[in-house]
Amino acid sequence: MSNALQLKNVSKSFGEAKIIKNLNLDIKKNERHAIIGPNGAGKSTLFHLISGHYKLTSGKIELNNKEINNLEPHEINRKGLARSFQVTNIFPKMSVYENIRCGILWSMGFKYSIIRLVNGDKELNNKTNSLLEEINLKHCAHIPAGLLSYADQRALEIGITIAGGADTLMLDEPTAGMSNSETERAVNLIKQISEKRTLVVVEHDMGVVFDLADRISVLVYGEIIATDTPKNIRENKAVQEAYLGTEDH
Amino acid sequence: MANLFKSFSTWIIIGVIAAILPLIFDSSFALTLLSKMGVLIIFTVAYNMLLGQGGMLSFGHAIYFGLAGYASIHIMNGIGAETLPYFPTVLFPLIGAVVGLFFGCLVGYVSTRRAGTAFAMISLGFGEMVTAMTLIFVLFFNGEDGIQTDRMVGPEPFGITFGPQIEIYYLILFWCVITVALMYIITKTPFGRMSNAVRDNPERAAFIGYSVRRVRWQAFALSSMFAGAAGSLHALNYEHIGFESVSVIQSGAVLFMAFIGGAGHFLGPIVGAIGLTYLDSTLADYTEAWLLYLGLTFSGIVMFAPGGLAGLIVMHGPIARTDKKLLTSLVKPYLLAIGSVVTGLIGLIGIIEMLYFRSLISKGEGEVIIFWTEFNANGITSWLIFIGLILGGVFLSKKTFPMAKESWDHAISVVKTEISHE
Repeated sequence: MSNALQLKNVSKSFGEAKIIKNLNLDIKKNERHAIIGPNGAGKSTLFHLISGHYKLTSGKIELNNKEINNLEPHEINRKGLARSFQVTNIFPKMSVYENIRCGILWSMGFKYSIIRLVNGDKELNNKTNSLLEEINLKHCAHIPAGLLSYADQRALEIGITIAGGADTLMLDEPTAGMSNSETERAVNLIKQISEKRTLVVVEHDMGVVFDLADRISVLVYGEIIATDTPKNIRENKAVQEAYLGTEDH
Repeated sequence: MANLFKSFSTWIIIGVIAAILPLIFDSSFALTLLSKMGVLIIFTVAYNMLLGQGGMLSFGHAIYFGLAGYASIHIMNGIGAETLPYFPTVLFPLIGAVVGLFFGCLVGYVSTRRAGTAFAMISLGFGEMVTAMTLIFVLFFNGEDGIQTDRMVGPEPFGITFGPQIEIYYLILFWCVITVALMYIITKTPFGRMSNAVRDNPERAAFIGYSVRRVRWQAFALSSMFAGAAGSLHALNYEHIGFESVSVIQSGAVLFMAFIGGAGHFLGPIVGAIGLTYLDSTLADYTEAWLLYLGLTFSGIVMFAPGGLAGLIVMHGPIARTDKKLLTSLVKPYLLAIGSVVTGLIGLIGIIEMLYFRSLISKGEGEVIIFWTEFNANGITSWLIFIGLILGGVFLSKKTFPMAKESWDHAISVVKTEISHE
């Protein structure tokens, strides 16, 4: 099976501090891949590097076998990679409906047009509605997104993330700060949307990780110490010492 | 489509009302005022493409307005002197639009690389630069005097010379309707929607495939284009253009109008342009301290109602949609709060007017008319009355504002539970 994402000798330094050290990682097409690790391990930095938010210090990142590490975030997005953020990142003043519709625009070729009307396009609006149904937010479509509950805002963000039809999704702590029932709902949504897509997820909740992931990578101090199936990761001695073991104390 | 027609019918009604206004208010003062309003509506709505729609605070947008005005006057003079071929006066705003678009593309390419404070500073820099140029490049700008023109040039189709003010008014109205309608339609396009998205959250916008810089640049260029059209009409209206039209004062005025009217809503800047132009022309006759009040109003709006007048109305939309009774429950606490503010304001205005009066008039004369009532600025009683009103207003506000806030919080919490229960 070919790789959706491939990181080769990726390093990132902020001044003297080396946050990511010669990291190699392959993420297969259509797998659900979780990245775990203690706080400060560099998980979010890694996400920012892949999505083009930060520039690499050295190394190479390939998306569907094409180099993306010199591209701007919007260019990487157009090549089929979409992401969510650790802190909810939506368009708070716009309606829920508008949030999703904006997420779709580029993929349908609207570009920066000033001669087409968004309300007049049937396909665009049908697509928006079906996506709203998929994320269960149809009932509050015309409410300003900033007024939604926290869990609904996270669901909306996932909606925006998948709206552009990207085949590789990266979710940064999608269930952080949620209650048990909210987490369950979010996990179901993530399972549903990541079918036939590649999913990379950073998550602290081990229940979620072992439930969701096909493979897990463990990131400790900027290095990946293991990449394996959930079962093998659980039994991996090095991982237990570095990370999982500390949870029991 | 029905929706589109519905929104257009509102515009048509407004246009018709504007068209019959000069028949009702037929004084030359009213006509001059209405013409000025028309020009400034275009300019303010154009400015709001940046401020409200795109989230870019510019302190130098008058340069596109003013430069288009200078260009129009030069071309008009060229036609008058027959050094340039004839160009119909009706289409002059197109010249302004081209000039505005050109300079907007040029300056915008540089300034929209940055957002926020840096963008605002760059715009201020360009504003100062062009103002300085008007005094340096005398050949083009003619310094402090500015340039005159005669708008009655060329043939007179249907006997329209554009000499009489009423003909200029209808020309302005015609372009006002067209440009405002166009700018409204632009908000409904993919570009318009993404302009809002970039304003709300540039980071997110980049991760749904849009170049934030490109969206900002396009907004800047289009905004400058419409500002240019307004500048052309401004020049035709006065048959004169001066350095003040490109100055930071003009840039500030358009910012005031857009912000006080409400930058977050399309109609806000129109309300602001009409309201402030009217007050500027009328209130200035009653009080010399008008600019002081304008500044106070602006500060008040920035602090307490950042959405402007339109924002205050729009923020009640969700409440009205949830339950009309909820909205009526707000009326009483609001009226009480407004009443206490007005009490304090009357006191403040009284003090300001008496201070101003005393600084102008030599001692002896003390009678000053404030709110159609005669007060003695030298007597202690008048001062005590107004100070009392201020203190009373502050005291009442402390009681009534928490009440109003409580009612508002209650209404919003009802709306929120309503949303989550649906």
